[in-house]
Amino acid sequence: MTLLQMKGITKRFDGVVANDGISLSVNSGEIHALMGENGAGKSTLMNILYGLLKPDAGEILVDGKAMDFTNPLGAIAAGIGMVHQTFRQFPDLTVWENLVFQNEPRRGPLVSADAARDFVRRLGSRHGLEIDPDSRVRDLAVGIRQRLEILKALSREARILILDEPTAVLTPQERDGLFTAMRELASKGMALILVTHKIPEVIAITDQITVMRDGRVSGTLVTKETSEAEIIKAMVGRNVPPTIAAKVTSDAEPMLSVKELSVRRAGVTIVDAVSFDVRPGEIVGIAGVSGNGQPQLISAVMGLESATGAVSIGDQDISRFPIARRRAAGISYVPEDRHLTGTAPAASIAENIVFGTHRHAAASSKGFLRKDAIRAQARKLIERFRVKAASEQLPIGSLSGGNMQKVVIAREVEHGSPLIIVEEPTRGVDVGAIEFIHQTLIAERDKGRAILVVSSDLTELLALSDRILVMFEGRINARLTGSDMNEETVGRWMMGGAETR
Amino acid sequence: MLNMLLSQVLDLMTPVLLAAMAGALCERAGVFNIALEGKMLVGAFVAVATSVAFGSPVLAVLSAVLCTAVFASPLALGGARLGGDPIVIGIGLNLLAAGLTTYLLGAIFGVTGTLVDPAVTALPKFVIAGLADVPVVGAILGHNALVYLSWLLIFVFNIYLFRTPWGLRLRGIGEVPSAAAAMGANVSRYQTAIVILAGGLCGLAGAQLALGSVALFAENMTAGRGWIAVVAVMLGRAHPLGIALACLGFGLADAVGLRLQGQGLPNQITDIAPYAITLLAMIGLGLRGMKKRSV
Amino acid sequence: MIAAALDTKSRLAAILFSIVAAVLLGGLVVGLTGANPISVYLEIAKGAVLGRGLDETLARSVPLVGMALAAAIALRAGLVNLGGDGQMLIGGLAAALVALYVPVPGVARAVLALAAAICAGGLYAWLAAILQLSLGIPFLIASLLFSYIARGLTSYLVRYPLRDPATGMPETYRVASGARLPAHIFDLPVSMAMIVMAVVAIVIVVNDRSGVNGFEWRMTGLNARFAQYSGVNLSRQTQRVAFLSGALAGLVGALLILGQQYRFTDGALLAPGYTWSGLMAAVLAMASPIATIVASVFFAALQVGGFSMERALGLPAVLTWVLQALIILCLAARPILFRKR
Repeated sequence: MTLLQMKGITKRFDGVVANDGISLSVNSGEIHALMGENGAGKSTLMNILYGLLKPDAGEILVDGKAMDFTNPLGAIAAGIGMVHQTFRQFPDLTVWENLVFQNEPRRGPLVSADAARDFVRRLGSRHGLEIDPDSRVRDLAVGIRQRLEILKALSREARILILDEPTAVLTPQERDGLFTAMRELASKGMALILVTHKIPEVIAITDQITVMRDGRVSGTLVTKETSEAEIIKAMVGRNVPPTIAAKVTSDAEPMLSVKELSVRRAGVTIVDAVSFDVRPGEIVGIAGVSGNGQPQLISAVMGLESATGAVSIGDQDISRFPIARRRAAGISYVPEDRHLTGTAPAASIAENIVFGTHRHAAASSKGFLRKDAIRAQARKLIERFRVKAASEQLPIGSLSGGNMQKVVIAREVEHGSPLIIVEEPTRGVDVGAIEFIHQTLIAERDKGRAILVVSSDLTELLALSDRILVMFEGRINARLTGSDMNEETVGRWMMGGAETR
Repeated sequence: MLNMLLSQVLDLMTPVLLAAMAGALCERAGVFNIALEGKMLVGAFVAVATSVAFGSPVLAVLSAVLCTAVFASPLALGGARLGGDPIVIGIGLNLLAAGLTTYLLGAIFGVTGTLVDPAVTALPKFVIAGLADVPVVGAILGHNALVYLSWLLIFVFNIYLFRTPWGLRLRGIGEVPSAAAAMGANVSRYQTAIVILAGGLCGLAGAQLALGSVALFAENMTAGRGWIAVVAVMLGRAHPLGIALACLGFGLADAVGLRLQGQGLPNQITDIAPYAITLLAMIGLGLRGMKKRSV
Repeated sequence: MIAAALDTKSRLAAILFSIVAAVLLGGLVVGLTGANPISVYLEIAKGAVLGRGLDETLARSVPLVGMALAAAIALRAGLVNLGGDGQMLIGGLAAALVALYVPVPGVARAVLALAAAICAGGLYAWLAAILQLSLGIPFLIASLLFSYIARGLTSYLVRYPLRDPATGMPETYRVASGARLPAHIFDLPVSMAMIVMAVVAIVIVVNDRSGVNGFEWRMTGLNARFAQYSGVNLSRQTQRVAFLSGALAGLVGALLILGQQYRFTDGALLAPGYTWSGLMAAVLAMASPIATIVASVFFAALQVGGFSMERALGLPAVLTWVLQALIILCLAARPILFRKR
């Protein structure tokens, strides 16, 4: 029985088509995979289904009845629940308080805590998702917090449950628990939509697969009848990544050496004795499912996070240096979030470009800024990096994501540091800028710089990297080169390697 | 002797306690309220001005509550909804209160400094003959209605916050507004209502300050009590019992200061006591977890 | 936080809107108390510029610009300094003590007194910064509480150990004429205090526009994370900015003592409310130094006009405080009125 139908959904953002006539149908009792690379349009489609976005065209039918949501409350009322990647929870409140929020069982004017606890217990045991109602949410492990998020959707009588990349933050054990619970829910007649780009879990658990690419449906498959190769073909298509750099091997002395680097936070080891080198003239990519310690590794290398182990640039041990001295020793760094960390959006493009090197002789002398030189340099970079900006005096926050990222990359490349660390080089960036950014990084490699790239976009890593290190649970569990650098092999190691099939 | 000290502590802590509860409500709702000082001052002025006009203490307290709630509306509109900076609005309100009360004092009553009027009488105290000398009991008796109301409010606030659906929603809204909104709570309506309610509480605090024991209005008579209330909210971690304890400590410091003044210590030194104690308490107890909000 | 991403033009429009709205609201207050708002505003305007008004405005601008810039340099770097009163008192007292009791010849004594005021005010603010950095006590709260302590402490000192028994007032002895700052230089209507403040203002403006330090402070105020990632040592910078903000407040105290009041009288430094007026000017100017100076001169004129209006009409001059506060509130509330997006 078809529980949910989406027909001809189309959505544009500023002229860019994010969803182009998407149709999707899910039966009761079915686990349906929605697959695709980052930027394929999965999130847009699910946000439309959950009432967070309004489609430009198309219709949504639940139980054959046309729906018109203006907000999530409408979707919830229609029996649609969503488990977001970032949990919508109150860490200071208890499990039961989180669960009954806005829907409290009452005894007179008061909340009946007993009734609420009882409700949590009954709901949990009915679905095989037990959880202690009195725990404070901040004390819970991620897997349990996700369980709470699922229970929240179930407590509102959801019959259609969307899970957005639910395994990204889970350990393998937690993931197995989640899959068991998902099968249980499906067996009771619910429809589950699993949004993911991980092939093994799709094969392991789903019934039907819808693959998206560039805002369109590129494949509708039945899991039992398809193969890994067929799924990959639908995801990647003939549309091979634009730039695949010629791979090189560098045997120069390492520019960056990381030895036994570990990060512990509140007793939990997040980065576990990681060692690797990056040599001049090569791009090393770090792959991994998010939540396996990649950002903490980079923070530790940059000195933004306290860590044990050794980091050196060339012959110089920088393990004890604060961030300013590490950068001075020869690191350029493009952080993951350009709005929060990478720029001051209200300051001008020129100021954002010079900040960090403003004490160098090119930008200041005797404590005064050389404003003309700074502006000239900014204009030069704007032109060379083809940033679309009317003037270098405009606030950088007024630029589009791609142009803003180009400015950040331009600034860091211009430092002339022998090592460039780039996190998520092209997240939220348009296609033209992606191509340009990739070519820039490859050109810098060819000039003999050492480049370390962290990306959650596997296609990007495969296109750019000369070597790939895979992080899993805080460790590097694979170092791949040559023919091993393919989607399937890297993906398998990202999932824990030998553990998956 | 001890009875008198205790009784004095209870009197002195009341305005701060009422204002601190207002601050704690706002804190719980996620609005940083530093306008307590100004709102108290407006409450005190309105209470005295109404007394002069009508001679009724009940009417005085009611109009103080009402007018201060109205006075708080810029913070409710500006701070509760996105866009306005609650710190700037708080500073503006404090200065507006100081300017407005002084201006109206001159323009309406033709007075500078202090307004005393035979029509202004202190709120009646519940004195039970014969019990005044019984230890502790005597100190607890003999206060006006606002003092007892403030004690009652500690428990009401506690129940509201931790036992009622609205309190639960308030705590959620203050902690993660986006999550609360995603679950269907109307965040800005809640915050607006709470800030206005807190304004009313500050009106009570001002009324107690002006009509509790002195029955007069003086320019800037709050003298930093609103700021001590802000600190009490921090020290008590916006928990009703915690802030009650913090205010008790403040009342004690104030009372001991006044006592020492009686012993011949210059009042300039004893005036420092509440602020110094407040600072020392913050240093001693440490304010871990407050760093993220440091301005 | 306060330095929003407004370009100059829309910022100017916002300020003009706030002033107009405040004048209308203030007129309402005046009207409700039975006076004629038009004649009140006319008197204020006349009083600010006509007759001795201009001179008075200029004289009042000196401390006001100083306190406004003290607030602005802190705001620019993301710190809210509510403790200007305390820093001014401590600085003023230090200047008075040096000018009264340090046995060096005249001019040297004045210079030493100014230096002492700068150090004392700066250290007083630095102490509050240390509390924020080491214990997480917000600078805004700590600096304000320190003000109340400074008030009690200075009041006690000038009433008892430092008191001049010859006057009936709680005040110190008079500073010897050699250690005073001249009220006129070469018989021009320019005081030494004006010159000192002008130099300070120029240094601050230049540092903000072209200085490497000013650039770092401003970027920190805009995005502290970005500043840290770009290599700014935030802890050291916070201490430095707090010190300089307090030092400027202390200097203002010293200029008032050595150039105008000639002794430390209890309450005299705080009575005109320079700290708060200055803070409002800085907020109005969104912490840009040049705009801060313009705003403080405007506020000084407003206050002088207020006094003249009080003399003419008998309405309290404090009305101008109401206007200042209303301007700030209208500015802060503007995003709600003109809901952008």
